[in-house]
Amino acid sequence: MDRKAFFLIAALAAAPAAAQRTEAQLECRFTGTDFVYDCALRLERGATPIEGARVTVGADMPSMPMAHHVRPVEAKPGAAPGEYRFRLALEMPGEWAVKLRLDGPVREQLVLRYEFDDKGARPAVRRARK
Amino acid sequence: MDAYAVSVLTNIGLLGFLALSAYLVLLAGEMSFGQQAFFGIGAYCGGMLTAMAGWPLPLAALAAMAAGAAAAVAVALPTLRLRGLYFAMATLAAAEMARIGFELLHWQVEVAGEPVGPDGTQGFRGIRWVFEAGLAPEGYAVLVWTALAAVTALLAVAERARLGATLRAVGEDPALAAALGLDVHRFKLGVIAASGGLAALGGVLFAHHNTYIEPRNFDVMLGVHGLAYALIGGLGTVFGALVGVALDVGLLEGVRVFQGYRMIVFGGLVALLLVLRPRGLLDEETVRWIGRRFS
Repeated sequence: MDRKAFFLIAALAAAPAAAQRTEAQLECRFTGTDFVYDCALRLERGATPIEGARVTVGADMPSMPMAHHVRPVEAKPGAAPGEYRFRLALEMPGEWAVKLRLDGPVREQLVLRYEFDDKGARPAVRRARK
Repeated sequence: MDAYAVSVLTNIGLLGFLALSAYLVLLAGEMSFGQQAFFGIGAYCGGMLTAMAGWPLPLAALAAMAAGAAAAVAVALPTLRLRGLYFAMATLAAAEMARIGFELLHWQVEVAGEPVGPDGTQGFRGIRWVFEAGLAPEGYAVLVWTALAAVTALLAVAERARLGATLRAVGEDPALAAALGLDVHRFKLGVIAASGGLAALGGVLFAHHNTYIEPRNFDVMLGVHGLAYALIGGLGTVFGALVGVALDVGLLEGVRVFQGYRMIVFGGLVALLLVLRPRGLLDEETVRWIGRRFS
């Protein structure tokens, strides 16, 4: 088999796997009550919104993962396709690993690292150690 | 059962391994602030073997336990000549070195079109063996508790045997134990190796429960908690360490009234117990009293 044909076959074989990747985007708004956030989650798989999934959301603190652990909540479908909404009641501000468990048409488990404070939530940034 | 109760039970089980490993070192007469390093080594090693090399979880767990035990021996060899606080500080330093090592570890391979493996401070995603196997959270909680029950039973049997008496003798009066012909250094090395393997087993199970790990998971807080659980629960029986975990994660986590003040309550509880009951709730005297009541 020549090299071009090999790479073509390899690329075609890899394409469905790459297309199957589940992407999640999270936006959270501080409610004004200590450590309580209203969140909107957008789920996609291969640019197609994931609808009809049962989404359970929990959170752990990365620095004390098993001891600071909030009660998981079930997200409700939002107005837009692939959107889910939930209220997250954390124990304190700081970095949390938001754990998503998807069941139904898509079965998946994702962990998103977000920094929560009184301004809302944003993806946690980590400097690489060199 | 409620999903939250299942997750709390699983967490109690996972931390139980860490508490038991700290308990073993305490029985040997030393205090380790570094058990989180072996927990982390187990998590990384087990995760890499299942996610990157495609090993089945039981085999990966065994390999990770061996790695945890070897790492514990590597730390103990130079540090066991230290005593008391100096040993505690040395184990803490070793654990921080391990955590920094995880931050420097970049090794990813492509699995199903996605990079999988440790990516330094960005963590290690895709430890999906348990998830792919279709094991539900309830099933995983049963798996964790079965492993913990097996380990606890093994330690309880060992405690009642000559081995347990030897361990307590070495821990309480190493000079006397040595005078009786025991090789105290070698015995402690064995105990520390076992504690490393035990912590690593907890780490493997933690990584596969979470599907994602990162170096911050294994920082000093985890080690302090593991040690505190063993001290709070008591040094009279192997069950003490598990009581310590259940008290923190079960009671304080379950009773949400403590929510924001939990660390203050937990710290206060540790301080109070160390003053009132320096060998914990289930200390040797209490265990003997319970034994008399039920014999």
